[in-house]
Amino acid sequence: MRGRDVTLAAPLLAAEGLGKSFAGIVALENVSLRVDYGERVGLIGPNGAGKTTLFNCIHGMLVPDSGTVSLAGHDISKLPVHLRARRGIGRTFQRIELFPDSTVRDHLVIADRVRHGEKRFWLDVRRHGTPRPDEMQRSDEMLALFGLSELADEPIERLSLGQCRLVEVARALMTKPRLLLLDEPSSGLDRAEAAALASTLFDVQQRQGVAILLVEHDIELVARFTTRCYLLEAGRLLRAGPTAEVMASDEMRAAYLGSLPVPT
Amino acid sequence: MGLGGAAPAKNGADVSAALELRRVYAGYGPFRALFDVNLTIAAGEAVALVGSNGAGKTSLARVASGLVTPSEGSVVVNGRDLTRAPAYRYARAGVAHAPEGRSVFATLTVEENLELSIHRIRGRKGLKAGLEQAYALYPILGERRQQLAGTLSGGEQRMLTMARVLVDAPRLLIADELSLGLAPLMVQHTYEALQQLRQSGVALLVIEQHVTHALALCDRVVILDRGTPTWIGSSEQARTRLQTVLHSPPTSN
Amino acid sequence: MFANIGEDIVTAVLQGAPPGTVYALVALGFVLAYKTSGVFNLAFGAQAYASAVLYFKTHAEWGWPVLPSLAVSVFVLAPLVGFLLESLIFRHLRTAPPVSSLVVAIGLTIAIPSIVDLALDFQPRNGQIPLGIVPNGNSVYYPVFDLYSFSRDELMAMGVATAAMLALAAMFRFTMVGLKMRAVVESPRLTELNGLAADRISISAWMLSSLFAGLAGVLIAPRFPTLAPGRFFDIVVVAIAAAAVGALVSLPRAYIGGLALGVAIALFNTFIPRWANDHSWLRPMQNNITPALPFVVLFLVLVFMPGLRRARFAADPLAGVDPPPRSTVIPAPISASEIVRRTLGTTLLVVTLIVLFTRGDSAFLYLAGQGAALAVVYLSITIITGLAGHISLCQGSFAAVGAFTTYQLAARYDTSVLVGAVAGALVAAAVGALLSVPLIRLSGVWIAIATLAFAFFFDAVMVKFSWTGAPSGVATGDLVVPRPVIGPWDMASDKSFLAFLLAVLAIATVAVMLLSRSTTGRMLRATRGSEIAAQSIGISPTRARVLAFSLAAGLAGLGGALLVIQQESVNYDTNFAPFAALFWLVLVVTFGARAPEGAIAGAATFTLFDKVVLQGTFIGWLLRSPDRVPGLLPVSPKWRLVLFGLGTIQYASHPEGVLEMARARRNRRRAEDDDHDDDHVELALEASV
Repeated sequence: MRGRDVTLAAPLLAAEGLGKSFAGIVALENVSLRVDYGERVGLIGPNGAGKTTLFNCIHGMLVPDSGTVSLAGHDISKLPVHLRARRGIGRTFQRIELFPDSTVRDHLVIADRVRHGEKRFWLDVRRHGTPRPDEMQRSDEMLALFGLSELADEPIERLSLGQCRLVEVARALMTKPRLLLLDEPSSGLDRAEAAALASTLFDVQQRQGVAILLVEHDIELVARFTTRCYLLEAGRLLRAGPTAEVMASDEMRAAYLGSLPVPT
Repeated sequence: MGLGGAAPAKNGADVSAALELRRVYAGYGPFRALFDVNLTIAAGEAVALVGSNGAGKTSLARVASGLVTPSEGSVVVNGRDLTRAPAYRYARAGVAHAPEGRSVFATLTVEENLELSIHRIRGRKGLKAGLEQAYALYPILGERRQQLAGTLSGGEQRMLTMARVLVDAPRLLIADELSLGLAPLMVQHTYEALQQLRQSGVALLVIEQHVTHALALCDRVVILDRGTPTWIGSSEQARTRLQTVLHSPPTSN
Repeated sequence: MFANIGEDIVTAVLQGAPPGTVYALVALGFVLAYKTSGVFNLAFGAQAYASAVLYFKTHAEWGWPVLPSLAVSVFVLAPLVGFLLESLIFRHLRTAPPVSSLVVAIGLTIAIPSIVDLALDFQPRNGQIPLGIVPNGNSVYYPVFDLYSFSRDELMAMGVATAAMLALAAMFRFTMVGLKMRAVVESPRLTELNGLAADRISISAWMLSSLFAGLAGVLIAPRFPTLAPGRFFDIVVVAIAAAAVGALVSLPRAYIGGLALGVAIALFNTFIPRWANDHSWLRPMQNNITPALPFVVLFLVLVFMPGLRRARFAADPLAGVDPPPRSTVIPAPISASEIVRRTLGTTLLVVTLIVLFTRGDSAFLYLAGQGAALAVVYLSITIITGLAGHISLCQGSFAAVGAFTTYQLAARYDTSVLVGAVAGALVAAAVGALLSVPLIRLSGVWIAIATLAFAFFFDAVMVKFSWTGAPSGVATGDLVVPRPVIGPWDMASDKSFLAFLLAVLAIATVAVMLLSRSTTGRMLRATRGSEIAAQSIGISPTRARVLAFSLAAGLAGLGGALLVIQQESVNYDTNFAPFAALFWLVLVVTFGARAPEGAIAGAATFTLFDKVVLQGTFIGWLLRSPDRVPGLLPVSPKWRLVLFGLGTIQYASHPEGVLEMARARRNRRRAEDDDHDDDHVELALEASV
């Protein structure tokens, strides 16, 4: 690995000066963002602030009009989604994207196989594609981590929304990402489920050391889960810094206060 | 459960009720979402519907506007039984529903969205006046009248929905998470609009995450749990009651 | 000289106007249907055919005057067809993905003409075409500048097309009707919340577009040599090219696109022969360029027009109101009854084969062989549609590639046909891979249309070269292909070749099953389920698509080669033409594209259903005497088209097909017995909608 030395100092993810507009409406304007190895970073802002657009630019679903995205010092701005995934960006989706007609384990095995995969087509066909022992072991570990062991052979159609979210995260983690993008993981979950998800995520993050960039409406969850966060409004970066500081800022109050859940 | 019968009926006579759900069971295909729901909303009354995620609030709203046909029980709107009627009959009977999430035609322009409902209510002659009224309420919609509604921001889409409803002048407005994801100023604006509607005699069924807003607006509160109303009472009573209910973790299977 | 060229151009423009009008008329109708119903209505041609046939029957055969004939066929039958299509079929598909409605429309393209033929006792015959609707329409001419003379029929069609375009455009611009129809297309539920009766609007939209189809059918029928459904389908595909120029939603642009296409073809016809005199490389192509033009235009528009490509169907925000589709996989342990059933099935198959080989007459052996070869082709649909989730309408062309390769190798180089078949499969796979590259950015319906354009391009151009079709340049039945000889086995007899074909089919079936379970299969299925999620875990969508297309094309090529070896000649028009190959998809999808059984059952049905069921052989065998077969039988083979064409209707709710559906239902019943606890699903559902 030549170039490793050169890039060691670079942050894991660096988005520089991203801009994007749709049909003349500016969705992102000169937004820069940085995530270090193993860090938990939040991205907050009211609806229409451009959070999802920013996310999609990082992930590769959208090509920004301006700016660059680099991962561990390498410019990945021009790479398609699947190559960014192979370089270590995993993600979940706000509107759950699972593979219908597949079991929970199928989801994990396929993700694992893309990573470790059988490259030779005919060997693979001969093997019937059944999970190998090492694949079973890795997927078993992941299932246990998320408390999904019991549901391994259930088709995802029989899972609850909260369980589906867990499968999505587990699938993303099976590709051994360096950076995990979580797009509103608590949407559609009730408070108890959201809290359970947050603690599982925290657990997993501690063990795997993966960096997490979290988009979330639930401010409490962001406050508890992240160390640093970015506040976006109307496509512009309002404030960035340690989560507690951002949460206490005037900008935050201005952008968010009225829509905070009512304290009890 | 029959809690609806025990609820304090404000205006007494059933005929004047804007909406009446009698022993309603409903669901989607094989999945049951509502069980034995009794609920009466008197003319001009404002009711808040509260409950945790998955409690059936949205399903109840859909039954009340005819989007979902109950499998059992009946739905009476302004004294007329519309249980099996299609949703447009509800709309014509004065039930306006602002559904959760996007509720505008993304492929039509702002103006076309408004024209659809204004034309039905006021005819061709009233079209112009109706549009002007809507743009007076929300000037930004006037600026964007030729823009496709799908390209509006979330807040602007809500404004469009509200404009449609306000010009409509319904007898009952069902507002499902109207303030979800809106900037604080917009939330305030929306609630002022709802308050105005209420003062002009429109009955409201409000589903809202921000309970304080809902309590300030409504006379009565219905708590829904797992598809059934478990508690009905006044806003004052609800204030104390809610804190315990909302924050106890739901029993899951 | 320039004056001369100018004159030629004007002549070509005038010449191109009448056919251009036909394209414009159908393109307008297609856009109308798409705009007001959201359905990519390939059955538009079938609807036009229905009215044209009724008009021919009443006017030409029964001698009715023009007006009553026109009234019955265009103003009664056509709206009635639209009414039935909407209320019985498409109303229930409103929330289904666009690809489902497309498949149903393809099924209807097959079924409606057969229903019409059966109901009116009509048989397409050469020269049996209706006259135009104006008296002496094809004999009175009006010259323009002494360059070209328009017939009355042509003028009539041009007048109606122009008037219709203006009237429809005005309707959409100035009345609420058009607005309401567009609203219903996006979300019937939201329309109802606005107090508008969605069903009524939708019905009137369908009746209007169907009326237009009928009108177009009656007006364009006089231009055809034969009144045949295939002709109408061809015109629809050309019209889609014209409509695509207007991004499928602009009526004036569809009109102009249609005219421009007609004029462009006329210009090509005028000038290419002259250029060919100077440029020898043009000569072999000069006859092929013009018929291919619309399909090339359509393909290029699809691939290069980003607006059209991104024209996403706005999702209905209230789609969640409808009951969700139930899971198709309910795992169930293999129970005793399942074992019994499988054993019985296998025994039945073995007995059938034994009977076939020992007692079957030559006709049956021949049909069974044909079925086995076709089953290999159909397995390619299992891969491309069942596994990868794409609708490909050019599997016939891939099969033809295999067939022509085998023929050419055998005829020119005396290569063994078995080597030829393998070579054919490889060439077809290469063609499939090449074709898939420009399609990479397309999705769903657009892939189907692009492959259809390719099939028609192949049909118009590729078949006619000396190195594909024949030295004679035209593909007919005289392209003889020999049967193979392997060592001591001469497979000249149908029986021995059937045995060989069954062995190949068995290997192909196992290969498809292995593929489906392999990593590659899993990746294809994942990409089918959620392309963006598949990408997010590192699966390359490009690789998945190229792989799916080349595997499917290769298998189709192999099957095509086997089919022509079995038939001992290449019969392109009967076997591989685009319209003929539509029925393949219909059959496989009806039986189930997700598993090989569907392909095999489909092929058996294609070859044997007519002989065994419709002609009464099976009932005769059951009753032990052919004389006791009820007088009802034999019935027309067209019933096969009706039955399975309509069979696609269930595709929307059950994309897994009838075979799988029955199995899932059995499993579900068993699963529900020990699991009544649906609460968690219900809560998840409530939260997600």
